[in-house]
Amino acid sequence: MADFEIRDLRASVEGKEILKGVTLAINKGEVHAVMGPNGSGKSTLSHTLMGHPGYTVDGGEVVFKGKNVLALQPDERARLGMFLAFQYPVVVPGISMTNFLRTALNAKRGYDGKDKSKQISPKEFRSMLKGELEVLHMDDSFLPRYINDGFSGGEKKRAEILQMAMLKPEIAILDETDSGLDIDSIKFVAEAVNRMRGPELGVLIITHYTRILEFIKPDYVHVLVDGRFVLSGGPEVADRLEKTGYSEWGDVEDKPEEVA
Amino acid sequence: MPFNSQTLEEPTFRGEPDWLRDRRRNAFAAYERLPMPSRTDEEWRRTDVTGLDPSTYAKLEHANGYKQEMPGLPAGVIFEPLSVAAVKHRQLVEPLLFSTGHPDRDRFSALHAAFFTGGNFLYVPDGVVIEEPILRQHFSHEGGTTVLPHTVIVAGRGSRFYYLDEYIGEEEEGAGYRSGSAEIFVGEGADVGYVSIQKWGRHAWHLADQRARLEKDSRLRLFNVTLGGRFSKSRVEASLVGPGASAELKGIYFASGKQFFDFHTLQDHQVGNTTSDLLFKGALQDTAKTVYAGLIRIEKGAARSDAYQANRNLVLSDHAKATSIPMLEIDNNDVRCTHGATVGPVDPQSLFYLQSRGIPATTAKRMIVQGFFGEVLERIPFEQARRLVETELEARLG
Ligand SMILES: Nc1ncnc2c1ncn2[C@@H]1O[C@H](COP(=O)(O)OP(=O)(O)O)[C@@H](O)[C@H]1O
Ligand SMILES: [Mg+2]
Repeated sequence: MADFEIRDLRASVEGKEILKGVTLAINKGEVHAVMGPNGSGKSTLSHTLMGHPGYTVDGGEVVFKGKNVLALQPDERARLGMFLAFQYPVVVPGISMTNFLRTALNAKRGYDGKDKSKQISPKEFRSMLKGELEVLHMDDSFLPRYINDGFSGGEKKRAEILQMAMLKPEIAILDETDSGLDIDSIKFVAEAVNRMRGPELGVLIITHYTRILEFIKPDYVHVLVDGRFVLSGGPEVADRLEKTGYSEWGDVEDKPEEVA
Repeated sequence: MPFNSQTLEEPTFRGEPDWLRDRRRNAFAAYERLPMPSRTDEEWRRTDVTGLDPSTYAKLEHANGYKQEMPGLPAGVIFEPLSVAAVKHRQLVEPLLFSTGHPDRDRFSALHAAFFTGGNFLYVPDGVVIEEPILRQHFSHEGGTTVLPHTVIVAGRGSRFYYLDEYIGEEEEGAGYRSGSAEIFVGEGADVGYVSIQKWGRHAWHLADQRARLEKDSRLRLFNVTLGGRFSKSRVEASLVGPGASAELKGIYFASGKQFFDFHTLQDHQVGNTTSDLLFKGALQDTAKTVYAGLIRIEKGAARSDAYQANRNLVLSDHAKATSIPMLEIDNNDVRCTHGATVGPVDPQSLFYLQSRGIPATTAKRMIVQGFFGEVLERIPFEQARRLVETELEARLG
């Protein structure tokens, strides 16, 4: 059995069936890419895996560390070792990035406001943050700012990866982290992800375009069309999509290469 | 001891000068004459006082504002209990006391004007700057009583200072009648920061007025914090009477259990080139209810006035209810006027985002509420008050 298993997952949004049976096994140390045209259900997959309350699970299961993930609250999933880099990071006014990061890190360490020994020390926190900021070519001026408030598209996506680096998940889902980024930002993000790659991390990288896969080489590529995987294979699948797009799966007009 | 004319003959009041005793008698006559406000009056339409009979609580607590450690005040500054100042500084106090709002405005105003005790008089002469904030605490000591402190603040030309009124009662103290009103006179070019924190006990009836009058080029930053009481009605009113005057009126409230809070605010632009900026933010949980009604009034001659008014409510339970009523009364076209109101629950996207990082829902909600208040807490004009309010909120948000 794989470290993270999605079996025949079906999900709907507002009564509309979106995921029509998705099966995927991810082991730590592997990078899986999920590619698909707009509206194929990629974000539905990422949100359902993380437990967004707006998505209804209609069937199937997700197993991680022997637990039925679908029965857990989003925060329990996160503390179990899952992470989702949002396609559209949420702006939360009034809460600083520093406060957010520190609270998340403490929650992960099991600090519940009582046992102070579990709390991260300010020094440890600062030095950890400093290192990760450098990798992502970010300065610390955004730390006192409210969560994603007034961030540019690129800043938001880098901030997502920063959170991932701080929280050190075992299964990370990156939902179109590359969309809307210039080539430099893609490189910084890819560099940060590549640094985290290793036997302790499984990655599910969701993308519309093949470009990020030039920088983060996937071990497996799966093509999602209309809520189902229509093709799975090695990196060569991405190359094939690069040439032919999604057109071979019906009247999908989307091209996987970036539109200028 | 009922509220009657005999009460005014008690020792507490007997030592007061004749002019003040006359005023009290007149206010008491108004109290006897005026009916209880009814829900047919627009101002009281959503505010139910049928359960309130002030005479139930006719035992008066006579507490002058408790003085905390005070550094020496600059020469010329007068700071006394109001009853003392009424004798020693009649020429200053008499023309100002209750000049911003007539005692017979309604029955509760009349009661307050007839029997107020405690509270302070502060006079800061022209050009005087006081760096250290002046902090005053007013306590209630038991249920069944009435506590009616009244603060009068006079800022001379170009003076600058900060003032805090804190109203404190035991959380579980029995029902009582409480007020806690202030009149603030901001002289030409003066700059005043005023904060009030109302944390009477959970069963108290609280009815208070905070009224300010702003002269030419003056600035007032007023911050109202409402946390206590079973019933709390506050009127916050600023009259801009000199060009260049600027009033920042901010407030926060957190209502839980069965609390009912009512706020009526007035931004009264009597002359042109004046600015007012109002933001009241509240969170409600359990079965709490709040009503906010705010009026921007721009008078005929008040061209080039700039007024902003917003009321934002975060409703944390299905059984809590916030009502928000913005009103405009504009008699001049050459003005800028913006207002808005929102009432809504915690944003589910924000909650999911925080949870997706491992933060449990209860912690995440608390952070979101704190964040909601955080934006306006930054506007508390001085550090001591800001810390006090932050600590208080943290404790109440649990
Ligand atoms: N909140 C929602 N309400 C209604 N329909 C939705 C919602 N979210 C997604 N959908 C629909 O579900 C389908 C899949 O969307 P999504 O998973 O976001 O696709 P992708 O991420 O692959 O672009 C689309 O047809 C979209 O319109
Ligand atoms: Mg998507």
